Amino acid sequence: MTTPSFAAIRDKVRAAEPLTLEDGVALFHHPNLLEVGALANEVRERLHGDRTYFNRNLHINATNVCEASCMFCSFARLEPGKPGAYTMSHDEAWGKLRARVAADDPITEIHIVNGLHPGLPFDYYTELLAGLKRIQPSIHLKAFTAVEIFYFAKKFGMPIADVIAKLRAAGLDSLPGGGAEIFAPRVRRKICDDKCTADEWLEVHRVAHRMGLRSNCTMLYGTIETVEERVDHLLRLRALQDETGGFQTFIALAFHPDNNSLMKLPAPTGVEDLRTYAVARLMLHNIPHIKAYWIMLGIKTAQTALWFGADDLDGTVQEEKIYHMAGAETPQAMSPAEIVRIIRQAGRTPVERDTLYNVVAEGAALGPDKPYRRDVRRSLEVVS
Amino acid sequence: MTTQMIEDPLPTASAASLAALDLFVLGRRAAELRDTRTSPRGAFVRRRQLVAPGEWRGPRDAAEAFADEADLPALGALAGVRDAGVGAIVAGRDPELARAAAAAGLRVIWRLPFENGELDGTRLDRLAALEPLSPSLGALLPTPVGEPYGLDALRFFALARLALPAVPRLFADVTTLGPRLAQMAFGFGADELFGPIVAERALRLGANANNPALTRKEAATLIRGAGLLPCERLADGTLEEVTPA
Repeated sequence: MTTPSFAAIRDKVRAAEPLTLEDGVALFHHPNLLEVGALANEVRERLHGDRTYFNRNLHINATNVCEASCMFCSFARLEPGKPGAYTMSHDEAWGKLRARVAADDPITEIHIVNGLHPGLPFDYYTELLAGLKRIQPSIHLKAFTAVEIFYFAKKFGMPIADVIAKLRAAGLDSLPGGGAEIFAPRVRRKICDDKCTADEWLEVHRVAHRMGLRSNCTMLYGTIETVEERVDHLLRLRALQDETGGFQTFIALAFHPDNNSLMKLPAPTGVEDLRTYAVARLMLHNIPHIKAYWIMLGIKTAQTALWFGADDLDGTVQEEKIYHMAGAETPQAMSPAEIVRIIRQAGRTPVERDTLYNVVAEGAALGPDKPYRRDVRRSLEVVS
Repeated sequence: MTTQMIEDPLPTASAASLAALDLFVLGRRAAELRDTRTSPRGAFVRRRQLVAPGEWRGPRDAAEAFADEADLPALGALAGVRDAGVGAIVAGRDPELARAAAAAGLRVIWRLPFENGELDGTRLDRLAALEPLSPSLGALLPTPVGEPYGLDALRFFALARLALPAVPRLFADVTTLGPRLAQMAFGFGADELFGPIVAERALRLGANANNPALTRKEAATLIRGAGLLPCERLADGTLEEVTPA
């Protein structure tokens, strides 16, 4: 395999030509991170200018009881009753939204991801959604990864489309992108051999897109995968996007090594994070948004990623559990004002969005700029 | 909106031009300047600190011993501190102390405080004011006031490297920046990790959860991941390449 030159890759990017596996691998190995970052930033600014998105959301992880035993996971407890295992009653889960409503917190989205609980009936999930909609009919429910949808289909003996249709009738609005991990069979066999395959994960999203739902997509990096396997993963996402156009956002998820079976592996470093975001922006020319998930990256790295291809910081979150059980040291929530400040201090323009990227608020509606705001790239102020 | 790309000609290093530079070009210039001094190498060093007369913190076999200027009143005269085995002073307040320390043969590590959201112009003025002192300084130690933000900190690193080219070293403090940001700083002109290097990692549990200490292997991994050749600076000042185990 000949290694493409950076100049050749840059020319392809500027001509809006899709990059190849070899191009992606070369970008991962390119010695100058800033060159890769600048090129990714060029694409990011071509697509979005300075605009940087966030939303007001709430995470609900209704149960961590899970049949799958993924080695990178610190969240799951394999059986009900094990130390740390929990399953929320509907009232508990609904109470989280009621509390936000009572606090006049204008959240627009609830993100729901759970373990693969072997004992819960399908009604548990439909009623969970329906109850949330009863409390706030306008709330957008982004719920259940493709892994969960596939599990429901198998466990309850329904085609994927029927599962999605029933959940949709109960209030489902879109799918989150989790559970993709790394598509390479070699890696899946070693780190998550008892959950759906890559083809099955992609098929769930394909079906959802055809039914008119939008979804996100992810890649878990930093475990045992090779650079080639990362690029292959990105290419498979890109191929499905070519087919359906249903992905809104790609999120690269850094592996966190605490409290799981892969504790001996080092966590990805900051430079690896930035490079992965930049390469993803360059490879996924057909997926509109790249999200730097601050909960997992840390606030400093997420902010820096806004100049390495990312245009979205996710949301206010509230009560994230999955990454915190894996050792994330970030807060479990950020206020909108904090997110706005982080974005502005990065020299970007904050835009509050809803799940589907409709603008909720921007400009003065997000509060005044700090007096010391400056443009990171071009600080031309003259100090007397 | 245009991003100034990497192939653009590099501007001269006047303060005004530095303030106007694209983040990526600024980083590239700073890293290039670093590379002309140290080749593409990043270093770490095992240090111990003299905190009171006869009282040390850190490993006995450290390659460098230092004292903080805040402890000097208790430690006594510079010559005495030097004779006790201290080779470097971490300072940042008193230029005369820095000159005296350099004259006494001590390496001066100069703290550069910075705060989120400061104007580049303000920072460059502060750095320019240090220029006359720079021949006495052995290293710069950017030190955030409060929690640092990513881009803001990286930009300050690059400005510091470019505005004070006579100072040979630019340290990235793992304790105040965190390992991820400290690693990124290598792309913006830093050449050495500053912070505790330990022989063995204690489990990050309980009171040890936020212990910033790195093992030699972790320090080398961070530096290698930043695209530089990891080296350990030894007691005689030489750099020994750290090869992967």
